[in-house]
Amino acid sequence: MMVQIMKLRRITAILTAKALSFFCKIAGRQGVTMAGRIALRIDPDILKDLAAQVREKIFVVCGTNGKTTTNNLLCSAVESEGKKLICNHTGSNMLAGVAAAFVLGAKWNGKLDADYACIEIDEASTVRVFPHFTPDYMVLTNLFRDQLDRYGEIDITMDLLDRAMKMAPDMTVIVNADDALSAYLAIESGNKYVTYGISEKVFDEQNIREIREGRFCKRCGERLEYDFYHYSQIGVYHCPGCGFSRPAVNFDASHIHMSNGLEFDVEGRHIAADYRGFYNIYNILAAYSAARTAGMELKRFDRVLQNFNPQNGRNETFSINGNKVLLNLAKNPAGFNQNISSVMEDPNEKDLIIVINDNAQDGTDISWLWDVDFDRFAADNIRSITVSGIRCQDMRLRLKYVDIAADLIGDVRTAIEKSLKNGCGNLYVLVNYTALYSTHTILKDMEGKV
Amino acid sequence: MKITIGHLYPDLLNLYGDRGNIQCMKKRCEWRGIEAEVKEFQLTDAIDFSSLDIVLLGGGSDREQMLVCNQLKTIQKDFKEYVEDNGVVIAVCGGYQLLGHYYDTSEGRIEGLSLVDLYTEQGSPRLISNIVIENEAFPYPIVGFENHGGRTFINGNKALGKVSFGYGNNGQDKEEGVMYKNVIGTYLHGPLLPKNPHVCDHLLARALAKKYGRAELEPLDDAQEKEANEYIVHRFTKS
Repeated sequence: MMVQIMKLRRITAILTAKALSFFCKIAGRQGVTMAGRIALRIDPDILKDLAAQVREKIFVVCGTNGKTTTNNLLCSAVESEGKKLICNHTGSNMLAGVAAAFVLGAKWNGKLDADYACIEIDEASTVRVFPHFTPDYMVLTNLFRDQLDRYGEIDITMDLLDRAMKMAPDMTVIVNADDALSAYLAIESGNKYVTYGISEKVFDEQNIREIREGRFCKRCGERLEYDFYHYSQIGVYHCPGCGFSRPAVNFDASHIHMSNGLEFDVEGRHIAADYRGFYNIYNILAAYSAARTAGMELKRFDRVLQNFNPQNGRNETFSINGNKVLLNLAKNPAGFNQNISSVMEDPNEKDLIIVINDNAQDGTDISWLWDVDFDRFAADNIRSITVSGIRCQDMRLRLKYVDIAADLIGDVRTAIEKSLKNGCGNLYVLVNYTALYSTHTILKDMEGKV
Repeated sequence: MKITIGHLYPDLLNLYGDRGNIQCMKKRCEWRGIEAEVKEFQLTDAIDFSSLDIVLLGGGSDREQMLVCNQLKTIQKDFKEYVEDNGVVIAVCGGYQLLGHYYDTSEGRIEGLSLVDLYTEQGSPRLISNIVIENEAFPYPIVGFENHGGRTFINGNKALGKVSFGYGNNGQDKEEGVMYKNVIGTYLHGPLLPKNPHVCDHLLARALAKKYGRAELEPLDDAQEKEANEYIVHRFTKS
């Protein structure tokens, strides 16, 4: 009797979640988080039981920036090995979103058919997810200041990740060696760890004004010394006080070229991808290192990169009436600075829209805009900048104080229409988190109407 | 005319867009043809306060404040003299707490500079909110964002403003910030000065008056600043 009730509860949870997700999609809303939340409420053990059905390994991807792209790349890599997997593609990465990925991927009778799970998790949510399952691998991409009002200072995020690692002592951490904060966590955790990084100097010019976290050694408080920076605090460092230093690198990307897409060598292999943005080298390298650490050969990795088109608004291109429109997510200073670099890598004339919201998921505190190096947009090949979204006034003011004039159009669709009408045919739209989905929908809609 | 701004320990105290406060003071000088120089000081640098017209002390994490507080003892005497001699100071968040006697946290006491008679105690939860305050000396409200665990008590000193939305110093007495001589301490970031050009100009005017004996500030076109300010006032106090 007991078993039957539990089974009934499981089926109810799965069917309710699936129905909810279906109707939300029809209504044009994502609904993933709500589906997960309701499934967990009906059946609190559902995530634990579904995750236990994964036949081989569970990966989780954490870190301030690059989670979604790294995780999606990792999924494609695992799939290229002929494996079935569960993944939270949409980037819903708190407990409810993680639960939804498993629930929506399960059959109605509670059976899960998956060899692997690749799950991105919001750093602060790791300690809430790990009681449901302990992963075999954690990829840790980087740690930057992000949504201070939600997460508090980086120190708090680091404490939570440290607790999470201690909850899963058998988990191997695949960590970015070039970020002193992430590397410190992995080294001190006592968990087994594997590193990836870039040991060669890529940029001759070092931006001295860029905001950098963790300049002081987490172990002893001494100021870290750097041979060079790649961006933000990512680089090659050591502590003159206690000897803490960048760990030996297991997966080292060398011969970096960015003139024609992204190219580098790792483990004697040449990797080429038609992407823009230096930070994407780290995303590719992280996914590659994770799959290789799990013992996969990745013979078809080239094709994985070629076919990779997640269509989730991260560096996504649209064609509207002969105009090229590129949408990208930029939600914290480190990410925005990397986005600016990537926009400026395009030598052509361009128009620009920046959309800034301050909903709960964005962080209601938008002071971080002042930590972004927007002065770099004062270049001749930027024809116009339009600010939009809930906090467009703040964004316009931010630009004013680096002597850049901007047009203000609060409504995003109107801003896009106007920029296309008066623009040069090459439009960049940079948005923060809650503007991503709606802007993506608008651009898809406009693309479809042509 | 020239204004020299000393930015204390930007490596450690640089949360919440403090760079925006520096940028705002610098630009509002430059737009008026006043030269503005920013001197950044690192933790072990000697500071000649007599060469400074405005000092900015920004916000940092509790851990970083702890690192700073040991060093502060070495500059306390000079800093105190600067303040008593009507030197201009703008201290935000963590920097505001450091103005006082101490900040008691669960990890121990962070000794302050005792420049202003105030103290801070850690409380729970953190006070996180958009905030609007009013001060009759300023032509329109002061707006910003606050995010602090500390509850600050200003012992009868003058506040920067009365809270019309948000928490303020301690979430109890409806007061926010402190004004003492030419010192302003506040929990408001966002950052503070760009959206509150009246506060920025107040600091610049005080600094010029002290240095040159007169302070005529040419008015600037603040339409965009006011729009950003009014948006917050309207959204949180008029709806």
